[in-house]
Amino acid sequence: MQHLGFSTNKLKIGSFDFTCCEGCQLQLANKEETLPEFLDLLDIRNFREISSERFDDYDIALVEGSISRSDEVERLQAIRKQAKILIAYGSCACFGGVNSLKNHFPPDECVHEVYGDSPVETLPVRRISDVVKVDFSIPGCPVSKDEVERIVVSIATGAMISLPKYPVCVECKQQLNTCLFDLGEVCLGPITRAGCNAVCTTGKTACLGCRGPAEDINYRSFRELVKEHGLSLDEMEEKLRFYNCFEEFRDDES
Amino acid sequence: MIYKVISKEEFSRFVDALIRENCSYGPREVDTDRHGNPVYQFRRVHSADEVAFDYTATHSSAKHLMLPYREELSRFRFSEGDWEQDIEYRVKPRLLVGLRPCDISALNILDDVLLNGKFPSPYYLAQRKNTFIIGMDHLPLPDCFCQSLNHHTVTKGFNLFCSDIGDSYYLSVNSSKALTYLKNFAIGDPTHEDDCRLIERRKLIKQSFQTEVEVTGLPSFLDIEFDSPIWQKWGDKCLNCGTCAMVCPTCYCYDTSERIDTDLEGASRQKQLYSCNLVDFAEVAGGHNFRPGNGDRLKYRYYHHYRGFAENANQQICVGCNRCGRACLADINPKDVINDLRMEKESCMICVSPSPPRT
Amino acid sequence: MHDMRFTIPPQDINKEHFAEEVADFNRKSALMQTDRGYKCRITNIVDLTGQEKLFQLRIVNPEERRLFTFLPGQFLMLEVPGYGQIPISISSSTNNQEFIELCIRRAGRVTSALFQAGEGAMVAIRGPFGSSFPMHEMSGSNVILVAGGLGIAPLRAPLYWINEHRDRYRNVHLLYGTKEPSQMLFTYQFEEWKKVNHIDLHTIVEEPGPQWEGRTGMITELLQDIDIDADNTYAIVCGPPVMFKFVCNRLEREGIPMNRMFVSLERRMHCGMGKCCRCMVGTTFTCVDGPVFDYWSVMNLQEAI
Repeated sequence: MQHLGFSTNKLKIGSFDFTCCEGCQLQLANKEETLPEFLDLLDIRNFREISSERFDDYDIALVEGSISRSDEVERLQAIRKQAKILIAYGSCACFGGVNSLKNHFPPDECVHEVYGDSPVETLPVRRISDVVKVDFSIPGCPVSKDEVERIVVSIATGAMISLPKYPVCVECKQQLNTCLFDLGEVCLGPITRAGCNAVCTTGKTACLGCRGPAEDINYRSFRELVKEHGLSLDEMEEKLRFYNCFEEFRDDES
Repeated sequence: MIYKVISKEEFSRFVDALIRENCSYGPREVDTDRHGNPVYQFRRVHSADEVAFDYTATHSSAKHLMLPYREELSRFRFSEGDWEQDIEYRVKPRLLVGLRPCDISALNILDDVLLNGKFPSPYYLAQRKNTFIIGMDHLPLPDCFCQSLNHHTVTKGFNLFCSDIGDSYYLSVNSSKALTYLKNFAIGDPTHEDDCRLIERRKLIKQSFQTEVEVTGLPSFLDIEFDSPIWQKWGDKCLNCGTCAMVCPTCYCYDTSERIDTDLEGASRQKQLYSCNLVDFAEVAGGHNFRPGNGDRLKYRYYHHYRGFAENANQQICVGCNRCGRACLADINPKDVINDLRMEKESCMICVSPSPPRT
Repeated sequence: MHDMRFTIPPQDINKEHFAEEVADFNRKSALMQTDRGYKCRITNIVDLTGQEKLFQLRIVNPEERRLFTFLPGQFLMLEVPGYGQIPISISSSTNNQEFIELCIRRAGRVTSALFQAGEGAMVAIRGPFGSSFPMHEMSGSNVILVAGGLGIAPLRAPLYWINEHRDRYRNVHLLYGTKEPSQMLFTYQFEEWKKVNHIDLHTIVEEPGPQWEGRTGMITELLQDIDIDADNTYAIVCGPPVMFKFVCNRLEREGIPMNRMFVSLERRMHCGMGKCCRCMVGTTFTCVDGPVFDYWSVMNLQEAI
């Protein structure tokens, strides 16, 4: 930022995956129209999906996935030790994500269902912040490349970073979408953090809350309105559970 | 203003010619809701066939065409330790067809707020000046209450206004541009009979309102009831989702932010329409929130709409379209909130005289 | 296919007469440029405490520099290109056409960027905006200036004004309190204010360190130190709302009428022009009706305190 009298350095970055689909990391290589400039901001030291070179001198660690094995705990702790900034990257890292559905079933049953007669060691799913300190979270399933770009640019230029505090409804209404409640569906838009540009609801798919709760949500009123609209509370529960983002609120209710 | 009459078929040809020649927006059917009712929105139209002239109400207002939800205010170009700022106010001309009187009133209110102060908004001015507006009257929906705020008729703020008088439209021509276009079509001067039919039409509209919201004296009510428990009550229902402000034809509060380009060679200063219901509306750097409660924030939306602010001459900015009431998932609507507020006062138990019976 | 007869002609608002009528800040000509600022160079940065710095800005264009005038208590919008805009009260003398001084605490995105900036950095300002302290009305009277913490920043402009027109004012007291001694700003000017300008300066801290030899306690205690001629005194009070509430109530008990006490409010702002609505307090906007209000108005504004 020469006009302010300081220079910007490339960010030494490492990208790591734990229990996940690695789709969020793939987002880093998406959005071709700004990809060259985006990569120009980074000095990629460690990123399995795009380079076979591995270095351990990264400053910023993007950590994708949740923690479901004991060896993952060790690996994560080593990353925490090296990284100056550790970012929980994607809904699995931030909240446990889809993987957490497993936590609602008996462990043996899960292992048997998936691995049959050759069982593997597996623990209840934890989010990254359950294991190590997280400096910043970028939620989403997958993360929005546009938001990642904004955050990376902010870090590179020494600007403070933040996520929208308001819910998806704001962005959804800005797209002139028909409210999914009017179409008879339970949508988590009113309680989910915006920043995705309402991509699902614009495609007429109900929001499942992958970005986690917006700030200061009114969960009680939300639950009431689902009932008042004559919609299924079971459907709501199922959606709330999908990414494991709303556990704290669901506990309040029971 | 001059008055003309045009048959509905000829009107359709006239609108079609304008739509085809210009970037045009009008009410379109975009969905069918769970009860089988059509959903309308102001969207781009390419011929008169696409316009739902007999639409009930659009879910969102046409505000976004004048005040885009997101808008770039200016750009910075960085170079060698310095920068240049670029600002553009250019807007391509557009046609906006099918606006109801309340929506045109809403634009007149925005004109007052955004153009008549010490600091007029050039961005809004550019949009407004480049929009050709054709308004159309309609019979109110059961929950419309624009009559209570005197916005069921409109006398300015449009280029052309059409009143339905049976098989033809009674036209109020409010710009020479409109008359120039109309001259290419079969129009006539209103006969005495046409005048009578117009008066009948207006009577019918006036008598069709089913919802009334008593707004007289509301500003002083609101001042007295600043600490009323009803704000807490409705605040407990409010989701802070901002839907009401987004669909509202007059909510204009906004947020600005700056974003540096990915190549670090420039930056963009952007505006986004905001809502006083959103949690960080009054939050300052460092984290202090001047309005931390749901009820406080909800109250402010009502204050802005029914009390008005000193800056815009304390005028009420609500036009009574009830879009916010229809869109609110938590079933918060102006009629109920205002009635509640009046009840609170009028049924007060410590008053020396009994309250008048509510009708 | 095209029928030009029906084309709506474009209207370029830049060419319209309207564009030249309304006053954009001090610039009477290119009027519609409500989003354009005066480009400034940061010419000096003084580290005041770990939290606050004093930035000295110079408007680059000489013509714009000549046109920029303000009144004590007014604020401006400081633009740091790429990072954003924030409202900042002006801390320098209204007489100083060469430089504008802004006392800034590191708090958010814009101020953090500013704290990394060095001398020579290019920023911009819009303004000045808002109401001011009625310095003319106060002449011939005693003035009590009360500052809590960063509240000294908006007080510096009226203080300069008084110093430059010292003979117009009678006794001038400056009461200044902070939480800790290390947070006290502009200590390097204290001697000058006392000796040269004959300002009766009193300081106090809430949490004294080992070095502190002055008074300890709440700022209201300093009011006991001075003689107040209630019929002939004005007060300017800046600081957190809790503080000015206590101070003003105390001064009212001493007999100073509420409309002779002035406070400066702070709120979130995005425009400075009464458009974004973020700074509304009660039914007024801090940016156009304020930031300076007399205490009577503030008392009558819901939510102000």
